[in-house]
Amino acid sequence: MIELIGEILKAIIIIGTILAGILAILIWVKNQTKNITYLRTLIQVAFIPLIFLGLIVGPFGLPQSPPAGNAPREVLLGAENLKGWFPDGITVPVLACYYPSGRTVTCAIWQIQSYIYPFWNPGLGFWGTFYTNSGIERLAIVLGLLIAMSLVLGRFFCGWICPFGLYMDLLSNIRATFKKGYRKFSEKTNTAIHQLRYVIIAAFLIISIIFGSQAIFGLQLVSGTQQGEYVYNYFSAPYCQVCPMKPLCVLTETSLGYMDPAYVLESTTGAFYEAGYFLTSLNLAILVLVTIIALAYRRFWCRICPLGGLIALFNRYPPFKWASITRLNKVEEKCTKCGICKRVCPTQVTEVYEKEGGDVTTSACILCLRCVEMCPYEDCLKLNVAGKTIFKSRNWVNSR
Amino acid sequence: MNVKNESDKKYALEIAPKEAEELRNAIRATSTKVIAENIKRMKKTWPNRPETMQYFDEIANFFGTREKEIREAKEEGKKVIGYTCMFAPIELILAADAIPVRVSSGWYDSAKLGNRIVPVEVCPVIRSTIGVKMIDLSPYLELSDALITTLTCDGMTKLSEILGYYKPVWTLCPPRIKDSEQSMAFWKEELKTLKDNIEKLTGTKITSKKLRSAIELMHKAAKAFRKLQDVRKGNPVIMGRDAMLVNQTSMWDDIERWTRKTEELCSELEKRAQEKAWACPPDTPRVMITGTPIIWPDNWKLPNLIEEANPQGVIVVDELCSGDRFLYDPVGVDEWNMDDMFNAVAERYLLPSTCPCFTSEDGNENRVNWLISKVKEFRVDGVIYYVVRGCMLYAMEYMRIKKALDQLNVPVYYLDTDYTREDTGQIKTRVEAFLEMLKSRVEI
Amino acid sequence: MITAGIDMGVQNVKVVILKDGEILARSLAPSGFEPGKAAEKAFKEALKKAKISSDEVEHVTATGVGVEMAPRADSKVSMIAADAKAGVYLYSSARTVIDVGAEEARVIKCDEKGNVLDFAVNERCAAGSGAFIEAMARALEVKVEDMGALSLNANGTVSISATCVIFGESDVVSLIHKQEPKHEIARAIYDALAERIISMIHRVGLNSDVVLVGGVAKDVGFAAALKRKLETEVLIPENPEFTGALGAALYAMEKVGEMQK
Repeated sequence: MIELIGEILKAIIIIGTILAGILAILIWVKNQTKNITYLRTLIQVAFIPLIFLGLIVGPFGLPQSPPAGNAPREVLLGAENLKGWFPDGITVPVLACYYPSGRTVTCAIWQIQSYIYPFWNPGLGFWGTFYTNSGIERLAIVLGLLIAMSLVLGRFFCGWICPFGLYMDLLSNIRATFKKGYRKFSEKTNTAIHQLRYVIIAAFLIISIIFGSQAIFGLQLVSGTQQGEYVYNYFSAPYCQVCPMKPLCVLTETSLGYMDPAYVLESTTGAFYEAGYFLTSLNLAILVLVTIIALAYRRFWCRICPLGGLIALFNRYPPFKWASITRLNKVEEKCTKCGICKRVCPTQVTEVYEKEGGDVTTSACILCLRCVEMCPYEDCLKLNVAGKTIFKSRNWVNSR
Repeated sequence: MNVKNESDKKYALEIAPKEAEELRNAIRATSTKVIAENIKRMKKTWPNRPETMQYFDEIANFFGTREKEIREAKEEGKKVIGYTCMFAPIELILAADAIPVRVSSGWYDSAKLGNRIVPVEVCPVIRSTIGVKMIDLSPYLELSDALITTLTCDGMTKLSEILGYYKPVWTLCPPRIKDSEQSMAFWKEELKTLKDNIEKLTGTKITSKKLRSAIELMHKAAKAFRKLQDVRKGNPVIMGRDAMLVNQTSMWDDIERWTRKTEELCSELEKRAQEKAWACPPDTPRVMITGTPIIWPDNWKLPNLIEEANPQGVIVVDELCSGDRFLYDPVGVDEWNMDDMFNAVAERYLLPSTCPCFTSEDGNENRVNWLISKVKEFRVDGVIYYVVRGCMLYAMEYMRIKKALDQLNVPVYYLDTDYTREDTGQIKTRVEAFLEMLKSRVEI
Repeated sequence: MITAGIDMGVQNVKVVILKDGEILARSLAPSGFEPGKAAEKAFKEALKKAKISSDEVEHVTATGVGVEMAPRADSKVSMIAADAKAGVYLYSSARTVIDVGAEEARVIKCDEKGNVLDFAVNERCAAGSGAFIEAMARALEVKVEDMGALSLNANGTVSISATCVIFGESDVVSLIHKQEPKHEIARAIYDALAERIISMIHRVGLNSDVVLVGGVAKDVGFAAALKRKLETEVLIPENPEFTGALGAALYAMEKVGEMQK
């Protein structure tokens, strides 16, 4: 009982602090070209402990790998009710790896892959599920959650919640402190890069299906894909072998002491960490590459992120487009085509500038609202959620 | 046959020195009288004119305080950079510690002089500027160490050549299509060349710190300007001519001082708004002027007619590059490093411009949108589409603007005039007929 | 209620006196160099014709170019508004009023109450007005009053461009040298004038019915040319040159009505 009260108090304090921070920003920050950005950074930072350190409650200090200790989620208030429903974590469309994080939320791509392959019942524990053995049912639940979240918030997840997004923004801020300018791709290159996401999703889903063909169709297309074999052990989630978030999570968790580095290395195999559960040379190299490019080109990963692509698919293309709730809206006659929105956009979206009035949300837009913040004409750009305006552009000249 | 001397290649702006001196004195005298008279007329229409306006009246005198200030600054080593058009980036001039002054001419009498060199069909602003150069009339033009001209229309293009023989002229060529990547790249190159020229002339390097303070200074000016605009949205607390004068003085006044004085004026106007001390009856027809620039002092003809007519009209907003367009768009800087600041300045001077010298797929839509949104915000009753003789660009855009405003059920009247006083009677009849029409619509 | 309208025209001063909405009297006097005096004379004459004294006139409205010189003006109104009011008074279906005077031509779009919806005036140029006809008649060496009837016999075999009175004049001279028949040239002159007027009509839009007023409306040649070019019926009242004064008198009636409220 006392523990419960203690936990509730902790929850109240943490939520209270976050709300106080939000209020402080909204009231005190006079520079109207910055306050949405500060708010967004606050929320991004607030989500880090939520995601990495397990949804408000601990345990802190315990290694988080399966052989040792409960998942923090299991200690969560009312977790008994969640237990059976989200055994692999709550699906959120942000890059948050299940194991290296607090095992509370899961990246949707990992779940989709791991439910395609292996398709059959792998039992409890590792990639195990508790609620159903049917691969199709599992996939349906994941996709359902993904579609629901995409329709409600769209790529707001990318701009405000995703920890890798925060990483990208931190790199930008580091660059800015050294007074170095950012670079831009030419419009043609940028459009091509944005198409790359769909290619990546498609490629990895196809690879997943090929690897999982034994389980799905009963036909083994590639050797080593039977349960217990090499490919099964290390490449069941092929995308995760190249995703740069995984090594970032692992490095963060091990450096903070929440993950046992020995355990990490133990589960890696091959020369130069060729394959592994947590860290491979390939995803490490990709992390380094993405970091370097993101120092010059803002939010570089977000332009090719396949998870962002999935959200975009379920948010910006018909029939989902008509049901999406969060939208960026432009009032045509107030727009003077000054081009500020186009220039400040970190992912180089041009549709906000080019489209005539109405709904200007696009698939490449991560809803960071920098355009809304920097638009100097009152009420021209707005973020509408279910028709209600949450943020709108202000005459920030008045705040100088 | 070879052209023998350099002077044979020039446009013959030569005029006998004695004649030049006589004309200069004569036009100066007339101009001083006109300036004083315009101010008197504005005071007569608005008996309760605030004391703060006196500052702007003083700055509006071309041959007064401001000329002296600039001359003294020059003696201390500061450079003066004149510009003929709103495309010139003021922030770059300020960042190099130079003084920006607009040198477009509003003198009627010098237009006749310009007729000696170029045909009568040419835009009167151009002819007037040529005339002014012939007799060294404009103090700001004479004090300029260099001129920034933009090649926006035919008249401006040739004016650059003509003036180029008398002062160092730096041309800026805005691409006629704004939206493409190559246009933006080209425009940025043009501005880079300009920046280098400014740095060479002034001997000051434009550092990111200086550019930042210049941008922030202009932000403050834009803030004061927007306050003035906001005050005009409600019932009239300031007559249009006075507001236009305030806006125009920003083009040759010291920006910081102008900002302060305008803020003072706005506080007083806001107080008056609360006390309901209107400058003219609230049901006065609200007029918007759009079109070619209206430059002080002689070309105050149309604003005078509108606000002294019977029935009276009040000018609540204008879409003139000598007025409400000048400070309307701020420079939006993302990260305060040199690259981004420069790009921000370059884009601000090209992209939101509503000048009809552009051609675009969406039909210079931002001008149409600007007019529509202003008609709604300022509750405009009627629009006067003002074009000087010879301006093809504005004249050609009339049809499109009329169509768009017809949909808002706002009457648009095309007014065509020149730099002459002789047609004042005719213009008066038309303006009064238009205002009568607006008044009866307002009553309906 | 008795009201009067004074039209201080460039060539002639016109006066109309209205009693309870019916025209009581009209008079006209050439403006000359002293339009004020001419207006006084015309006003006195109109009063005599109406058999009333000046005090019985409740309200006088002045219009036209020289309003300041009117002998009495309790209010003033623009020619454009006056034309619209008079047009609708004369023909209740009038929605476009064309007024071609000595120096200026106007096209007015109005509603059924005579309120002005839009208008266009010929831009600082005499090529769309009576002065054009006078100059051309001089070149053709024909009396202005006769040129109209002369042109009715023509078939439209020649044309002149009428961008400018000066150029028009040299066009006429060269046609004479080519020995084109006078009646054809006369018709060409009216056609050119009608073209100018029609381009003004397009600026405000054509709504029927069309009413033609002003001094030049009396010229049969011009009326025929306009009807021909517009391909629609053009209504021309009797005494078209008095339309301005009539409109002013009607405006005066409205003013009295307002003040009484």
